[in-house]
Parts: sequence; structure tokens; C-alpha cells
Amino acid sequence: MSYSTRQIGAANTLDFKVYLEKDGKPVSPFHDIPLYANEEKTVLNMIVEVPRWTNAKLEISKEEKLNPIIQDIKKGKLRFVRNCFPHHGYIHNYGAFPQTWEDPNQQHPETKAKGDNDPLDVCEIGEQVGYVGQVKQVKVLGVMALLDEGETDWKVIVIDINDPLAPKLNDIEDVETHLPGLLRATNEWFRIYKIPDGKPENQFAFSGECKNKKYAEEIVNECAEAWDKLIKGQVDPKGIELTNTTLSTSSSVDIPAASPAPAAPIDKSVDKWFFISGAH
Amino acid sequence: MAAGYKTPWNIATQRLQLTSNHLTAPVNSRSLSYSTVDSGSKYSVDYKKYLTDTNGNVKSFMHDVPLDLDTRNGTATMVVEIPRWSYAKFEINTKLEGNPITQDIKKGNVRFVKNLFPFHGYVHNYGALPQTWEDATNSNGSLGLYGDNDPLDVVEIGSQVLDTGAIERVKVLGSLALIDDGELDWKVVVVRTADQLASQLHDIADVQTICPGLLEATREWFRNYKIPDGKPANQFAFNGEFKNREETIRLVQENHEAWDKLVHGHIKADAAKLPNIANTSVSGSLKYQEAYDHKTLSLNPSTPDMPLPEHVDRMYYCGSS
Repeated sequence: MSYSTRQIGAANTLDFKVYLEKDGKPVSPFHDIPLYANEEKTVLNMIVEVPRWTNAKLEISKEEKLNPIIQDIKKGKLRFVRNCFPHHGYIHNYGAFPQTWEDPNQQHPETKAKGDNDPLDVCEIGEQVGYVGQVKQVKVLGVMALLDEGETDWKVIVIDINDPLAPKLNDIEDVETHLPGLLRATNEWFRIYKIPDGKPENQFAFSGECKNKKYAEEIVNECAEAWDKLIKGQVDPKGIELTNTTLSTSSSVDIPAASPAPAAPIDKSVDKWFFISGAH
Repeated sequence: MAAGYKTPWNIATQRLQLTSNHLTAPVNSRSLSYSTVDSGSKYSVDYKKYLTDTNGNVKSFMHDVPLDLDTRNGTATMVVEIPRWSYAKFEINTKLEGNPITQDIKKGNVRFVKNLFPFHGYVHNYGALPQTWEDATNSNGSLGLYGDNDPLDVVEIGSQVLDTGAIERVKVLGSLALIDDGELDWKVVVVRTADQLASQLHDIADVQTICPGLLEATREWFRNYKIPDGKPANQFAFNGEFKNREETIRLVQENHEAWDKLVHGHIKADAAKLPNIANTSVSGSLKYQEAYDHKTLSLNPSTPDMPLPEHVDRMYYCGSS
């Protein structure tokens, strides 16, 4: 598999878009890239949206044709996450699983909350900093159930299979052994990351506990089934752009030609620390 | 005051500050119009960043930038060596003439600090106070420890990420007495006077209130930062407690006086082991000259940055957080 990116415009601008291509042909990171990267379903493909230690809130667009990665916009402005001390930007390579969907029509029996209408979110904990649009092969280790403004927003914890630590990490308890403090920091980060924007602290289901690999695989499977219904038109698509180039016969889609430009400078205010009392 | 060295440049500096005080505006050292010039490629062993004045004459980061310690307001001038969230161990080179900023070299390789989870590179804008020196020839009174032979180290805790080689006016808030590999290595906590937090920070206790967790993180970072390199955890004098503003201003004064002795040749030690004291602003000092002879400095063209090695991304888990 050889995926590459097609960049339009400069990072940190409203024009910035990253499309994915397979062997030079445009594909949708939401619908065209297979979720599983091997037959045993032990290795999964993950799309990197936000590289570790960066602030720009980049995500797979649900509305645009072929779902390029774009920067979230709030009140007409590019959205950057705040640095909640002692963290710098995102603390993982953050992204999503292709061919998954958190169905907003379904209430989860255990969290009692509906899906957030997005692909399933993924936190990759390996040592290398990824890049926007990277397709990583990862293995699943566990999952946390964030309740973000009342919706279930699962965060699947994974590691790049090529990371030096990957052979030692096979389930969630191995994460605490080899990366002590990481799960606690992950929990803290997602609870507080919207506080600087005046929002309340987020909650976690299961008292913040990180569920194990088996539980996580079930969640991935449920979200894969939900996506399957979505792409087959069996549920209300909730505004999601379903165009793809590999699943149907209509495989010619016009997207802009590559026009990469150097990253625009980020406003200095993005560097500010926010100190949240009692967060630790 | 860093007075006593009446070069026109220094007088101009003081005038500027006086004017500035009259206007009750913060002294912005950028108005002194320094510039820097790079030699070689950043992240290579040959890289040097020299300070220059507006005419392109090289100045020493260590000796020619006035400390201008204002004991009443607790303000001084800082040289930024390492921007927050970066890893390359840049520091004022005390041995080279002209005292450029260079990257520390360990075993022939340029040195990068490790990421101590949950931190990313350095937690602060890190740097030094010009015209100060931690005396390595005298043990420090009750502590019985020798200084580390470098200018006083500074951690700037403001909101902005500052640039390597920047000269900034800062407010002294407190200090931490690190014992690094057996040497006394004070870390002075400051905030840039122009920072949005500066009006709320007057002493070390304010840091605890306004920036909860920062002092603990500072202590943890300096305790652990060499563990990934196979060294033991560092120790602190005074049980790791931070000294307050007043005690720290005294500390800065003492280290300024030690520097004064150093540049006047009053330190009895093998000169080869002491910092290079050639300078262009302390008239009457042992190695004063009107200007550096640029031919004797290793000034080469600036070349593109070397790529950062991949290993700088790695996180290290020391388990204490």
C-alpha cells in the first residue's frame, strides 16, 4: 500500500486541505482506506490528523467531497487547542480510523450517550511524531469513553506497529508498565482541554478507567458496522459526504490539483500556557 | 546598576532606561537594537550565533550586554539561549572569543535534551544573565559548593516562546539551587517585563498562585533531566525550596560582582579554565578592546539548518509524574 498526500494551500490558513491518494489516485480517508491492514484484523490503518505537540485542530471533513483533512473553524477563525500546563498541544498523534462511524442515531448501552457523528478517534502513543494525512499501521491496546458535551466520543489507544515498544505493548496494562503516567495524562488532557475556552470540564464514563484491548476491539467493530450501514444508505447519513473512489463504479472525482505552500505563521497567542487549578 | 564602565554605548543604554523609567513604560531591551549573525549550520558542531550591534560589530553575549540590575524594581536583562519546547542545548560559549551561542557537544555530537514525559523539550524559555558568573574557584559559604563556572542560568516563565539570541528585559521572581553533577547551578525564575502575566507576578509566591504546578514541574524537570542519559537524579540545596525575590536579587548581585572580579583579572586560577574575558564594553578590564578583530573570530557564512535527528521526538518516562 502506498498512500500519499495532496496538499492544497498553506497550513494554518482557511485554504489548507490535505487529500489522500493511493498510488496517485484520490481516495477518501473516511470511506476508501480499509480499516484493517491484515487478514487477521490485528493491524489497523489509522489516519493522522493532528501530529503530537501541535495545536491546529485538523480533522477529516465530513461535508467536503472525498473528505480532505481541514482545520476546524470556530466563529470564522481557525481553531487551535490550548496548551494546558504542563502539556504542549496534543500529547499523542491524534487521528481517526477509516471506515468507522460513531452513529448519532444509536445510544450506547453502557455510556447511555449517542455517538458524535464522527469517525472513531484514535490516540497513537509511539515515539515518532507523525504528519498530517499519514496512514499508520497500528495495533489496538484499549479505549477510553469520553463524554464530550454529552456525546460518546471514544478514544482508542493504539501504537504504531513499527515503534520499538510495540512488541512489548499487547494490552492496556502494558501501557502503564512501559509508559507510566501516560494514561493518567491522557485522562487529564481530555477532561480539561476545553476549559480555557470557557467550557466545563469533560467527563469520562467508567470513572475514567481505560478499557482493555478486547473491549476496544468490540467498539471498533461496532463503529465499523455503523459505517457499513452508513455507506450502504441504510441510515440517515446526517450530512456526511459519502463520495468515494473505490467502493462504487463512479470512480472519477474532481479535486483540486496540488498547490502546496509553506506553512503560514501561527499567532503568538497560541503559545500561551493555561494553568488549570486542581487538574493534576 | 552595571555602572562603572563608561563606554558611550553603556551610557546610551542607561539614558534609554532613564527615559523609559520617566515614561513608566517597561524597558524593552529590543529598543537597544541588537542583532545576531549566524555562522555555519544550526544543529551542527560548527554552528555559532554571534551578537552584533547595529553596525554589525560583534558583541559578547556574556560581557557586553549590560545586566542593568535594578534592585528596586527587581528587573534585569536576560539572554535567551533555548526557546521553550525545543531540545537543542544552546548556550553562551564561555571559552570562545566573542562568546557566541553554540550547541553543547557531548562525545563529538551536538547535544539535545530528552523529552521527560509529560514535558516537551524545555519547559521554560531558558537562558542566562549577562555580566554574571558562578564562581568556580570559591566555595559558596555555608553550602560548601563551587559554582559551575558559567553565567547565572535563567528560566523565563512568560506566555511567549522566545528566540535563541534574544535580549529581553525580565523581572526577577525567585530561584532554585540545583546541584548539577556536584556543582552549584542556580536557576533564576523570571518573567519578561512585557509579558501579559508580568503585572500579576511580583515574587515567587505569586507564581504558585497564578501558575499552579509550574514550580513543582520546574523542580521535577531539573531533578530528572539527565536520567535518560544514564546519570543519577540531580539534588537541590535548601531542600529544593525556592528562594524569594529579595534573596534572588542579592544572589544576582553577588554573581555580578564575581563576574566583575573575573573580567578585571582578580580571580586566582588557571586562566585556561576560566571563561574567555575578551570584551568591548568594560573599559579598564583585563581584556578590554575597542572592537573584536572579526578575522580572529570563526565567522563563516550561514548555511541551511541540519535536519533534527529523529530521536529528539522520543519520550522518556522517569515515573515520578
